[in-house]
Amino acid sequence: MKEVKVLKPVLVSNKQRAQENRKKFDEMNALVINIISSPGAGKTTFIHRLIEDLKDSYKTLVIEGDIKGQVDSQRLADEGVDVIQINTETECHLDAFMTAQVLPQIKGRYDLVLIENVGNLVCPAEFEIGEDFKLAILSTPEGDDKPFKYPLLFHLARAVVINKIDLLPYVDFDLDNAKRHIKNNNPKAEIFEVSAKTGQGFEEFCRFLKKLLDARKKKNKD
Amino acid sequence: MHEFSVTKSLVDLCIQEAEKNNFKKVYKINLKIGKFTGFSPDSILFYFDYLKPNTRCSDAEIIFTEVPIRIKCRACGKENVIDEPILVCPDCGRAEIEILSGREFYIESIEGE
Repeated sequence: MKEVKVLKPVLVSNKQRAQENRKKFDEMNALVINIISSPGAGKTTFIHRLIEDLKDSYKTLVIEGDIKGQVDSQRLADEGVDVIQINTETECHLDAFMTAQVLPQIKGRYDLVLIENVGNLVCPAEFEIGEDFKLAILSTPEGDDKPFKYPLLFHLARAVVINKIDLLPYVDFDLDNAKRHIKNNNPKAEIFEVSAKTGQGFEEFCRFLKKLLDARKKKNKD
Repeated sequence: MHEFSVTKSLVDLCIQEAEKNNFKKVYKINLKIGKFTGFSPDSILFYFDYLKPNTRCSDAEIIFTEVPIRIKCRACGKENVIDEPILVCPDCGRAEIEILSGREFYIESIEGE
């Protein structure tokens, strides 16, 4: 019996495909955000509100990942949002290959691509899909210990949105504790307190995003 | 559940490497798995048994080597191994941490003939 060194990451093919996806997004000069949260944290409502706030200046595409059905993409399409659906069927996350399959459906150019991952705090964090950064969404009814229990996502996320902040008086959520857990995992994470329902906190998040979008637009001109 | 696609990638990669090295059979897959990944060895083994029949890996076993989470503090310079991914320096309490290991997930070697 012989032993040969391999020294290759198991997810090497996913990583390569993610880089190819990245190239396609770069051709459009789009900023791409991989949005990850547990089910029910309010990803779709957050996306909808965000697009409303940005639509006068930026063209946005949503790629909607769900295990089954088109409930969320239909909801966005009804509001006039450009949306492409991916059904993962058995998988609990989007990977770079699934994402690559829908890229030919993109017609035209977009400034911003929001990829709504499958609702799950564990698996989606492990798979790159060609994003600029991961955005974690945490909602107040879920509990302030989520960043402690699911450290990888919060470690990798560039920004963390604490959604449903309007429910704070009614739920058992310790905001300082949540922030402490997030910072312990990721001292650089930018944290935003928002309510996608009332619009609270969106101004600040949009300011953060516009800075990144304008930097990307400028890069294109140069 | 995500271990299915991960294990599929693992088997595919082993088959590719076996072909490249003219192995008809792989008997051992030496896998490094960091403690700061979301992959469970038990789930990988479960899917491996399902995926390996009729491939060059049909008689293979996976040997897991866990890689600990090792961190270095940028503030005080000390290195530590931590059990939980709470990225705070156990020596000085600062959070300016660099992760030295723990995110690995790769095939170190395969054994076969």
